[in-house]
Amino acid sequence: MKKLAILAAGALLASSVALFAHHAFSAEYDATKPVKVTGTVKKVEWSNPHIWFYVDVKDESGKVTTWGFSGGPPGMLMRRGITREVLKVGDVVKVEGFRAKDGSNNASGGNVTFANGRKVFAGAAEDVVPQ
Amino acid sequence: MKISASVFSLFAVGLMTATLASGQTRQTIPRTADGKPDFTGVWAGPGFTHRVGPGDTDTPRVSNFDPKNFAPFKPGGEALFMQKETGDVLHDDPTAKCLPDGFPREVLAPYATQILQYPGVVIFLYEYMHFFRVVPTDGRPHPKDVELNFMGDSVGHWEGDTLVVDTIGLREWTLDATTNPATRYHSDALHVIERIQYTDPMTASYRITIDDPKIFTAPWSQDFGMKLHPTWKLYEQVCEENNRCEGGKCADSDAQKSSKE
Repeated sequence: MKKLAILAAGALLASSVALFAHHAFSAEYDATKPVKVTGTVKKVEWSNPHIWFYVDVKDESGKVTTWGFSGGPPGMLMRRGITREVLKVGDVVKVEGFRAKDGSNNASGGNVTFANGRKVFAGAAEDVVPQ
Repeated sequence: MKISASVFSLFAVGLMTATLASGQTRQTIPRTADGKPDFTGVWAGPGFTHRVGPGDTDTPRVSNFDPKNFAPFKPGGEALFMQKETGDVLHDDPTAKCLPDGFPREVLAPYATQILQYPGVVIFLYEYMHFFRVVPTDGRPHPKDVELNFMGDSVGHWEGDTLVVDTIGLREWTLDATTNPATRYHSDALHVIERIQYTDPMTASYRITIDDPKIFTAPWSQDFGMKLHPTWKLYEQVCEENNRCEGGKCADSDAQKSSKE
């Protein structure tokens, strides 16, 4: 039953191109610079106006870079059954988003795929989600 | 529990009106003691997609006005309306700095709205940025001297079962969340009319009319839907709590809380 609920929640999120913007996507992120990384969740900030989560990504040489991703607002996620328990420190995730305009290692949260293939979250802002 | 005869008769009249108006028996909509439709409750407003059926998620969505609804521009109106991006976030999208979205953009935000209704007043509580509108429905007109502000001055009245809210007194500000390649602004002459009506006991139609005589040659309207969510409550939404990345600069100094460990 629990598994079913999780699957349903995942399906809802994955099927959505929803946007949680508190402001315009284009003011912060560059829609021409998609980001796709796989790494380990280092930290989650479950707070308004958007949750932030940080992912440690290791390159071929073993160097670790921390990426910061902006997700939806907590209330919006909770209303849809996504609590802070869904995204935990230590989870291995693939995240697809768009890079911040300032070129820092921050990006819109976009889609998050867990190691078991479960996909949660849809766009962090506006309906700009990597295809 | 005693229900007065007058209240009951008002209720009955309301039911009959609904039946006559639709030509068929309509499901009973909630009504207040004075017989008016009762919009009290938490709603997913225009800032949601209202899918119906299995998988109905009422997905939050930033709604914007559709150019196909626009009336023709006045000479010079388009330049006032479509203001090119300047690189200054205070102009391009002030909400990135947690400044108000203002009315009517607040209505289009993908957050819940709670309506409280009392005799002579309807109160809208907006989850997003904690804004509210207190709309008298006791017949009073707008004040003679209206101070321009973000949410405007609203007065309401009933036309049958339709709640009609008339708003003026809005400072020049962003009209909706459209920012690329230009930010849509309304003028300080904006006059907005909202018409809210139950379509069944759980859903309502929301028609908004944009009357901006400095920009458009005529008023124009757009229709949205609203859906009641008895299980929802408003969540806290403090924009300043952990805001960052405003204007594309993701510096820690933009946030109340450092992103560093």
